Amino acid sequence: MDFSAIGAAASEALTLASFIGIGGGVLLGYIIGVIPGLSRSVAISIAIPMTFYMSPYIAISFLIGLSKGTAAGSAVSAILLNAPGEASSAATALDGYPMAKKGKPKTALQVGLIASVLGDIMATIILIFVAIPFARVALLFGPYEMAAILAFALVFIAGLSSGSLFKGLAAGGLGIFLGTVGLDNQTGLPRLTFGYTELMDGMPLIAVAIGTLALSEMFIQSEKLRLERTTMSVKLEHRPDDHITFPIFKRILPTILRGTGVGTFVGALPGLGPSVGSFMSYGMAQKASKTPENFGKGEPIGIAASESADNAVIPAALIPLFGLGIPGNVSAALLIGAFAIHGITVGPLLLRDSPELLYSIFAGMILASIIMFILGWFGLMVFAQITRVPPHVVIPIVIFFCLAGMMLQGYGTFGLVILMAFALLGYLMKKYDYSFVTFLVAFIITPMLELNLRQSIILSRGNWEILLGRPIALFFIVCTLLALIMLTLRTVRTGKPAAGAATD
Amino acid sequence: MPRSDLWSGLAVAGFGLVALLWMIPNYAGSNPFAQMPPGLVPSIAAWIMIICGAIVAAGGMIRLLRDGMLPVTREISWIAIGWAAWPFLYVSVAIWFMTFFKITWLGAFVIAGMLVLLGERRWYMIVGCSVVPPALLYFLSVYMMRVGVV
Repeated sequence: MDFSAIGAAASEALTLASFIGIGGGVLLGYIIGVIPGLSRSVAISIAIPMTFYMSPYIAISFLIGLSKGTAAGSAVSAILLNAPGEASSAATALDGYPMAKKGKPKTALQVGLIASVLGDIMATIILIFVAIPFARVALLFGPYEMAAILAFALVFIAGLSSGSLFKGLAAGGLGIFLGTVGLDNQTGLPRLTFGYTELMDGMPLIAVAIGTLALSEMFIQSEKLRLERTTMSVKLEHRPDDHITFPIFKRILPTILRGTGVGTFVGALPGLGPSVGSFMSYGMAQKASKTPENFGKGEPIGIAASESADNAVIPAALIPLFGLGIPGNVSAALLIGAFAIHGITVGPLLLRDSPELLYSIFAGMILASIIMFILGWFGLMVFAQITRVPPHVVIPIVIFFCLAGMMLQGYGTFGLVILMAFALLGYLMKKYDYSFVTFLVAFIITPMLELNLRQSIILSRGNWEILLGRPIALFFIVCTLLALIMLTLRTVRTGKPAAGAATD
Repeated sequence: MPRSDLWSGLAVAGFGLVALLWMIPNYAGSNPFAQMPPGLVPSIAAWIMIICGAIVAAGGMIRLLRDGMLPVTREISWIAIGWAAWPFLYVSVAIWFMTFFKITWLGAFVIAGMLVLLGERRWYMIVGCSVVPPALLYFLSVYMMRVGVV
């Protein structure tokens, strides 16, 4: 363990700039999370352009803080509106909303906040202790192993994050295809650019991310306005008996610990998102309860189970990212893009090349959790007011920031046209249940996959027998084939997804 | 779902075919000395799209035949299509205007117009919501990023 790097990281995390950057991220995330329909990935994709002028540490910590803030904020709308800010908070609404209707909205919000913060801090500590040894092992991997692991992760994500394995794979195929646009790094010749010099650097990540995630979501939300417009928020009032007490905390603590374990396990696996984690944790809490009939009627344990798992998924999803450079979900994939914008290759090399940055990010994550608690505890009344903002006011503003984000990157009108094309693609993918998660992850990891595949082919001179001497690569190739066969059989037999997880 | 599976699967497989037969041969480039040709990965992706798109379409077709349904329907709701299409058209027109005016200057009108179309009638909401975001963009681009007005 490099103690000088850890000391430097801690001192960097305690600077004013760090507090402002991370605090701003958490605050923005909280506000966005409270607004129903604006998810974590939408928030990150819109916020990436804002990080251009920040230092890499502040930028990444800002985005991670934003991610944590949205997870905690989405519980507010789930509890007060019965309309979760994102899918992963749907389990929170099952008990949060009935509890709020019973006249205990503040207690429900405080239970959700404490579960969120504890789940998040414990999962961050697990991340720190797991990702570093993981990255040390991964540094020993060569291109064969990395190509095999990336292929396995893609198949896994395609199978678990979409309505059908084949739709997931088709979306992944499209992501890979579009990820190859730009200069070929071996020949230096333009590839699939159709003569447009603007595409020499590849499809702009910002356009792909904002288009498929944020702009398309706004088009879907505006379409929904035809059918539903009203939002009825439970009013938050000052009542002496409406606050969390020590007996309630003592009751929910074991559930928080179990929820954190579930969330960390689910988050570390590529393809399974926070929705799976929160519902799995909720189900386990209900099974373990002596009074399962109370669930769904305002049981604080239900809120704690869902929120602790939901928030534990976020740091845990960074284990494969920092350990192997593989994004397990959309938010992690977007973070890869944000790292790339700041000239940093995320993955095991980060530990070798700039360990101080990695430790600073970890310190920033702990700081973000603490800020999240303070903001959430003292700002409950303010955030509750945000739930009253109608969606038709939010949509035009988000669309404006989507377009502005593209212009800030200097792509001009061409970039906006690409953005619209990806918004249309994202809209169609969401409408017809093609996994945009797999698409985006495939798009982002394709350059890495191609580089490792190319190096493998050059090193082996096309001789496949060399894999027999690479057991880890062989293991992951076999795993990929087995996963393909099992997921295919499952899709054919049930006609349903293996997990049905919309991984955010 | 079977109807949409059929058509979406055909669209994906069709795109894969176009990519494999036209885009990759003409635009992927070639290098006879490269051990891995530049068109290899795009070709693999195109094959994945063709195979998976065909399976999705075939699955949809089988379910249509089993349920005795037609691949197309007469029950088209033009109101629903209109609601789905107008935001795309609105933003496309806004982008066209952005070839002449900067988004910072045009933004307030874009937001205000959409607010009105979405049913907002309170003048203070329209003015507030349409002025503040461009002002924030101005502050971000001019003072924080120092890239000038975008």
